[in-house]
Amino acid sequence: MDGGLVGSAPGGQEAELTAGTRIEPGRSYGFFTDTTLCIGCKACEVACKEWNNLPAEDVGLTGHSYDNTGRLGAHTWRHVTFLETGTRATEMPPYQSNWLMMSDVCKHCDPAPCLEACPTGALFRTEFDTVVVQQDICNGCGYCVPACPFGVVELAPEDGKAHKCTLCYDRLKGGLEPACAKACPTDSIQFGVVEELVERAGARLERLREQGRADAYLYGAPGAPGATGGLRRLNAFFLLTDRPERYNLPPAPSRPARNARPAFLSGLATMVGLALAAVAIGVGRR
Amino acid sequence: MSVTLQRPTLPPGVQQEWRGETYHGRPVTKASGFDWKVSFYIVTLGIAGAAQVIAALARTQRGGDGLARRARLLALGGSIVGPLVLIRHLKTPRRWYNMLRILRPTSPMSLGSWLLAGFGGLSGLTALGAIFGRRSRLARRVADAAQGPAAVAGAGMGIYTAGLLASTSSPVWAAAPAPLAAQFGAASMAGAASALALAQRAAGETASARRLETLAMLATGVELLASRATERAWAATGLERSITSGAPAVLNTLGGKAVGVALPIAAHGIGRAAGGRAGALLPELASLAVILGGAAMRHAVLLAGNDSACRPEHVFRTTQAARPGEVRR
Repeated sequence: MDGGLVGSAPGGQEAELTAGTRIEPGRSYGFFTDTTLCIGCKACEVACKEWNNLPAEDVGLTGHSYDNTGRLGAHTWRHVTFLETGTRATEMPPYQSNWLMMSDVCKHCDPAPCLEACPTGALFRTEFDTVVVQQDICNGCGYCVPACPFGVVELAPEDGKAHKCTLCYDRLKGGLEPACAKACPTDSIQFGVVEELVERAGARLERLREQGRADAYLYGAPGAPGATGGLRRLNAFFLLTDRPERYNLPPAPSRPARNARPAFLSGLATMVGLALAAVAIGVGRR
Repeated sequence: MSVTLQRPTLPPGVQQEWRGETYHGRPVTKASGFDWKVSFYIVTLGIAGAAQVIAALARTQRGGDGLARRARLLALGGSIVGPLVLIRHLKTPRRWYNMLRILRPTSPMSLGSWLLAGFGGLSGLTALGAIFGRRSRLARRVADAAQGPAAVAGAGMGIYTAGLLASTSSPVWAAAPAPLAAQFGAASMAGAASALALAQRAAGETASARRLETLAMLATGVELLASRATERAWAATGLERSITSGAPAVLNTLGGKAVGVALPIAAHGIGRAAGGRAGALLPELASLAVILGGAAMRHAVLLAGNDSACRPEHVFRTTQAARPGEVRR
């Protein structure tokens, strides 16, 4: 099953050449974003906008280091964060130096709070275990927007629908790796089967520790920070070297849907109590 | 609450405690686009829902026919006007019917859409009794058969909106799900009792109005207690800035507390003590104040949640640890 033009071409899928991965429905695909390899070139942002035909947003300088994109949003599905830390050192580690850079993206959470919130079924889980908004179904209720613990989904004022990273659903269907991962010149963004990526990330972590880095850790892998509070794992996960907050990531996010039960129980108890009080007061008697 | 919280373990090379760092002060989460239209819906359907509870009680009492009729009409009116306004808040309103395309048990908005559809239908049936009940036995029977389910759905309408707001990543909404729902439920009941008290007074059923006013004051007391619990939870997690500054502060303090609680207590107190002519006007003022105050409180909570979603320190403060909880598969 390759379900696409490119995939059915002789010689196999392009993703096998560019990412070393065969794309098949039924397996989980995601990103491993290794921030120690990021050089802040923003090729991912550009490739994403080009492939997905996304319009430019506020063109200007934010004053926040080299981050002039600012945020993920309806038209920005990859966003490189820049944080300059400390003073300029004379002896710098061989990567990132005093600069924290991370290419942020939709986490394609499992379970996904946006999907759990969506009342129309516009948000759904694809055969590649990614989370996508169906544009022909979304009615712009906007409930997915505050549901997302990472501030990823947004409504576009232009068309009144929710938009976010699709993990290049169309490319996956055609046997191509996502545009951002293919464009990344340092392999900071790696695309693949999530289980294999977690394994690869573990090996990378070990190598970094051997090199004396006591600050490297995974964010969003099963059991790691980011995969907390009922979130089993983030299919797009990260290797970080500082506190999550410095990359604008919550250290221990949780599934917002878990708050519904206590609210409903306490609310109904209140209504029953007040109804009984109404009986005692004699409401309804002339 | 003795819940062991899940604190993410960071490697030894990373600063272990969060010291208030943010990413250039930029927001982490995004605020909902919910505006006054959503607040209007919450208030209107809250009143309509609780009115069905009162209608069901009135049907069991001798002499409760007038109250039941007015409560049923109030419920019908609310379940027509509320959704029309709510649909306007959709950014693609012509696709409103997609709300009933699926049932998503994890989504309070999906559950609420179905609840609303059921409640609207049942309110239509009970309204048959209110409109044709005197002439048609069939209408009376249909209405009475629908009354029980309508009251149950109505109780849900009064509170599910709090669960909807709580099931988000906006810190102020998510901080205290149980007290918030109690607050919304009590406000719904107070609003319905007050609206019907006004109707009963207009119809000359003063004794019935007085009982409704007592119920409204009791519900207002419950709302005040619950709001204290909610506000304590906000303060405990350092989220109070969202409700103690700007428009939410004015709405919550001046609208929710002064108009919604203090004014009705004073008006009823003086009205009942003075009796006579003041005894008619003051209770009506009090009932109006309860309705407006409850609306102001709900709108304050809505705006405060939007505000707190834009404050990175709120998001980080509330995500330092998580309840471990079940992992769904």
